Amino acid sequence: MVFISNHLLTLILFFPLLAAAIVLCLPKDKLKAIRWTALSASLVPFVLTVILWAQFKSDQPGFQFQEQYSWYAALNSTFHIGVDGLSLTLVLLTTLLTPLALLASFNITDRIKAYFMLFLFLETGMLGVFMALDLLIFFMFWEVGLVPMYFLINQWGSEKGEREIWKGIKVQSRNYASLKFIIYTMAGSLGLLLAIQLLGVLFNTYDLQTLYSNWAALDPNSVILHFFSLGLTVSTIKTIAFWAFVIAFAIKVPVWPFHTWLPDAHTEAPTAGSMILAGVLLKLGAYGFLRLVLPFYPAESARYAGWLAFLAVMAIVFGAFAAFGQKDFKRLVAYSSVNHMGFVVLGIAAAARAAGTLNATIALNGAVLQMFNHGLSAAGMFFLVGVLYDRTHTRNLDDFGGLFPLVPIYGGILIFTSMASLGLPGLNGFISEFLVVRGSWPVLTLYTAVAMIGLLFTGAYVLKGIKSVLHGPLNDNWAHGEHKLIEINLREIIVMAPLMLLILVIGIFPAWILDVINKAMMMLFH
Amino acid sequence: MENFIIWMLPLPPLLSFFVIILFTNKRKSMSHGIAIGAAGLSWLGSMIIYIRALGVKEFGRHIFGSSINWLPTGSTWLKIGVQIDPLSAAVIFFVAWTVLAIFLYSIGYHNFGQPKGDNDVAGLPPHGATVTENGHKHTVPSIEPMYSRFFAFISLFAFGMYTLVVSDNLLTLFVGWEIMGLCSYLLIGFWFGKPSARNAAVKAFMTTRIGDVFMLLGIAFVYSFTGSLSFSEIFKPEMLGALASTPAFFGISAAGIIGLLLFIGTVGKSAQWPLHVWLPDAMEGPTPVSAMIHAATMVSAGVYMVIRMFPLISAGWTEGMPLNMTMSVIAFIGAFTAIFAATIALAQNDIKRVLAYSTISQLGFMIAALGIGAYVAAAFHLVTHAFFKALLFLGSGSVIHGMEHGVMHTGNHVDPQDMFNMGGLRKKMPITFWTFLIGGLALSGFPILTAGFWSKDEIFAEAFGNGHFVVFITLASAAFLTAFYTMRQITLTFFGEPRSKAAEHASETPWTMILPLIVLAVFSVSYGWVGIPEQFPGLGGLIPNWFHEFVGGTLAELPKAIEFSWVPLVTSLFVALGGLFCGWLFYRNVKSPQQDFLQIPVLKNKWYFDEIYDYLFVKPATWIAEKFTSLFMDQIVIDGILHSVAQFSLFLGHAFRTYFDKPVINEFIGDGTGNAVKASGSGLRKIQAGRIQYYMVASITVLVIFAVLFYFLLV
Amino acid sequence: MSIPLSWFLILAAALFSIGLFGVLSRKNAIAILLGVELMLNAVNINLVAFWRYQDPAKMAGQVFAIIVFAVAAAEVAVGLALIISVYRSRKTVVADEIDLMKW
Repeated sequence: MVFISNHLLTLILFFPLLAAAIVLCLPKDKLKAIRWTALSASLVPFVLTVILWAQFKSDQPGFQFQEQYSWYAALNSTFHIGVDGLSLTLVLLTTLLTPLALLASFNITDRIKAYFMLFLFLETGMLGVFMALDLLIFFMFWEVGLVPMYFLINQWGSEKGEREIWKGIKVQSRNYASLKFIIYTMAGSLGLLLAIQLLGVLFNTYDLQTLYSNWAALDPNSVILHFFSLGLTVSTIKTIAFWAFVIAFAIKVPVWPFHTWLPDAHTEAPTAGSMILAGVLLKLGAYGFLRLVLPFYPAESARYAGWLAFLAVMAIVFGAFAAFGQKDFKRLVAYSSVNHMGFVVLGIAAAARAAGTLNATIALNGAVLQMFNHGLSAAGMFFLVGVLYDRTHTRNLDDFGGLFPLVPIYGGILIFTSMASLGLPGLNGFISEFLVVRGSWPVLTLYTAVAMIGLLFTGAYVLKGIKSVLHGPLNDNWAHGEHKLIEINLREIIVMAPLMLLILVIGIFPAWILDVINKAMMMLFH
Repeated sequence: MENFIIWMLPLPPLLSFFVIILFTNKRKSMSHGIAIGAAGLSWLGSMIIYIRALGVKEFGRHIFGSSINWLPTGSTWLKIGVQIDPLSAAVIFFVAWTVLAIFLYSIGYHNFGQPKGDNDVAGLPPHGATVTENGHKHTVPSIEPMYSRFFAFISLFAFGMYTLVVSDNLLTLFVGWEIMGLCSYLLIGFWFGKPSARNAAVKAFMTTRIGDVFMLLGIAFVYSFTGSLSFSEIFKPEMLGALASTPAFFGISAAGIIGLLLFIGTVGKSAQWPLHVWLPDAMEGPTPVSAMIHAATMVSAGVYMVIRMFPLISAGWTEGMPLNMTMSVIAFIGAFTAIFAATIALAQNDIKRVLAYSTISQLGFMIAALGIGAYVAAAFHLVTHAFFKALLFLGSGSVIHGMEHGVMHTGNHVDPQDMFNMGGLRKKMPITFWTFLIGGLALSGFPILTAGFWSKDEIFAEAFGNGHFVVFITLASAAFLTAFYTMRQITLTFFGEPRSKAAEHASETPWTMILPLIVLAVFSVSYGWVGIPEQFPGLGGLIPNWFHEFVGGTLAELPKAIEFSWVPLVTSLFVALGGLFCGWLFYRNVKSPQQDFLQIPVLKNKWYFDEIYDYLFVKPATWIAEKFTSLFMDQIVIDGILHSVAQFSLFLGHAFRTYFDKPVINEFIGDGTGNAVKASGSGLRKIQAGRIQYYMVASITVLVIFAVLFYFLLV
Repeated sequence: MSIPLSWFLILAAALFSIGLFGVLSRKNAIAILLGVELMLNAVNINLVAFWRYQDPAKMAGQVFAIIVFAVAAAEVAVGLALIISVYRSRKTVVADEIDLMKW
């Protein structure tokens, strides 16, 4: 027991890898065994996270459950992990969504062993980013997360569909999407790697906590690093490094105009892949903003907050418009992520501009909670689209219509989740959106006002989805015969149940999670 | 004790919603039992609170309320809580009654106890069932297939309204507000199988959401300015003073901007011009829904909110002063809507649509009253209107139900909602007729007897007495039109002879539908008596003007009662009676739409607002969404840039391969070196003759040469 | 009276030249080998002569001469063996005809 409580984070982090090793040893035709092993193994990190949450002292500043092991002594990089209220929230989200995604994948039969192993790798990668307290470790896990997702999209993505790239050349959609996803993210992380190396070279350490203080203590006008005898001042270097960080994270979030990989990747990924992609992977970018950009570059963030807010508002408005314009249900949901993550970035921008004020704290509370909430509702929406796709093998909204009488339970769940996505008061999305709007209104008034267009069209696209799928005259194709639509089954309801429960609980009583976030934000940014 | 009850008020309907959705979806009688039980509990709680509130002296100073911490914000908490002050007590009174009446009415309306329909499917109105009676077959109305779901939705709706009314802060008010928005969406689209209902639902949600996002900004603004959302904090005199004296944008004070933003929310919710377009379409929903949305709850909620926020809106303004910017806007929108909607109502033939436009118009009265600072009058009209408009909607539902019965009985498939297919129903449906008549008279402001007269009269008196003549004249004209179209409706529906076979066979509706009508009719008459002005000739003073004292006590200063004047009273009498008389006169012999002189296209087509909006907003937005954003901006511009980067990389790689790697590295350096060595080798091999003597000669020659060289160079 | 050093050197040079001529002009491998032997012996004469006239106290000249004998003996042994081996396979000892590795 002592061992467990002393190594809680390591256990959470590496248990999925262990599980992957176990799955590897199973015979590949034992589908059931593989599924249940992977699922039950992924529940362990979740249970441990719940213990973590219970033992976490939200009043205590700094990181908790820290563990540090020597790792790369030559570079002064150590394997240092720990959590605060911010990372804890996202760790919880990750360990919660992974079992659900695995359960959602029970209908997969193709190369199931590799599939589940990749998922478990992915979990470790994501958790590592949230826990890392060492920049090199951070970067390593950041990249680790990319690879499994690439293969999941590339190998298990939707088989149909082609995308014309140029001059009439067509490529298979899932190849296009997976390549775009991995290359885009990697391109962004190049600058990140350089900026991390810069920090490492300057201070001869990669430890986050040391860097926080050292980096801030530098005199902005002093000259360091005589690159090619250029003699750049600290403030110039900081500006360059700031943008390197920002672009890497902006691609991941994604902020407009770096968002176009998202609809492709989300649409082509297998259902569970989309759940994790929207639920957790997008949060890595926003987490990077909160963990690295704001603490490292407060001055630069404040200076460029207007630009960031502009991009966020573009994401909110055009994300909503684009979602409204889609004919493909999954693509509609994918674009809704752009819209929702825009609010996260808007909150971050407001907090950057007004650092240290109550407005900033409220905006950050909203942004972090929005990350969590979007994780729940987007994962739910993608899953529901997947449920429909499994049965009908189409995602075209024009092919549905009037399905509500055939699948009343599914319809109810869809409306519920859609409403969470829409930001209906009483459900979780509203709280976070309200906090973001409240936090950014006094700071970035015009941007917030313009963002309301996006909020309006959030309603439009959510209703369009419901209208096209559930309402209207019944499309006879699904009413009888071989295509008769089957009601959502128990396994699928079990996937949705925890999500819906949390959506409702956070909507009605947000304090249990928001208190942790709030305290973390207070301690981080004051 | 009171606080506990207030906290619990919204809960029974919410529980009822969850229980019905999760457990009793299949059991119809259990579902309506739970729903009505829940509504009854809330009703009981409301009445207890109401009576307790009546017992408190100077209740406006000693309101009920408590709050809890809800959202942590930095080192402080955002509190939410409940309160009942005189205004919310007055509102909760009518909410409790109308909600209960509507719940009960829904049982009959959805044909509980009737057989299952022959081909009824969920999502479409029931088509009727064939029964065999005494050897011959005939069609009778069939039970609604989604009967339980209906009760679940209206329960949630009731939850939203109760939440809104008991809120002591803008945030939970907004929560209730939006939940009602969702329910109105679900209920307007209840028969979602009909494309018209589905579109109306989306239209309603989207139009009100325009208002809601502005309201959200207003809430954010007031929260960031005052650091609180609870009414008691915002309405503190020093806070109001700060709000009124701080300029925000466009030279308007913070209070003014917040007021405008919140008011836009009301414009959407209460269907004021220019966001009125959703409400008539919302008639696609079942009739109890129309009553719920248009009378008891949702649209009233909008007006309730502006009345609630009146201290903020009027911050810095005192009675007698010229109106501030925000109030002028409110007064203008209200008055304009009142007359504008009334003109459209003149030309409508659908019995529910007339009522829908009349609702818009009457809400305009309240808004206008508030805009000119007539706080109590607005609240009074809100309450009386809720009663008589709920009565009228339920009455029209009863008429439609009776007509549907006739339609099914005779197989004569006419539109059961078109008033030109009715006529003579007073004999077929006497109770419906009498109650509808009471409601209609109240709406028209029939003098002395009806509640509508007193509330409308108070608005006229306030407008006239405070010198807002434009508003006064506009509202008076609107009131004339109101009386006129109400009488047109009553005449076409109930008087004369039946104009269709269906109307001949219309029958009175069951008691579950009649009882609510009677209850509401009682209130439509009697509720006016609580607000008779003290100086009213003859009647004034017989009963104290309780409503004025009570609701006026909500404000920091009790509003002054307006000086009595004959002008508004005579005007009020004239427009009500004149309108009623003209309506009867012109329509008593009209048999078909062709004889109706008011079927003017511009009125019939609602001043073409739907078309204009479609052209101005819907089409461009759809174009931006479908053509511009994802197809052009994302896939052509942004992806184009990405693809050109990819293409450039590809080109660069190709160029390196073709112009550097292949010619320079491979051919020049690689192959070139090889070739050069090969060529020189084949040249040089000549001297590699393999004859040792040659080599020796060569080496000796070299040796000699070097020896000679060394000799001459070194020695 | 003694014979001057230059006489020995002239003799050695003559012997060397004869050997060189033999090596360069003969085609028979054995004759070439003989030429080489002559050149080696010319060198030996030089070594011994220089030792005697320059520094009789040191034994270096004699030692070198003896090494050259040894080398010459070894060379002859290996050289003749090679020639015999070539002869066995090619039936010739003419240097021009041994052209197996020629281009």
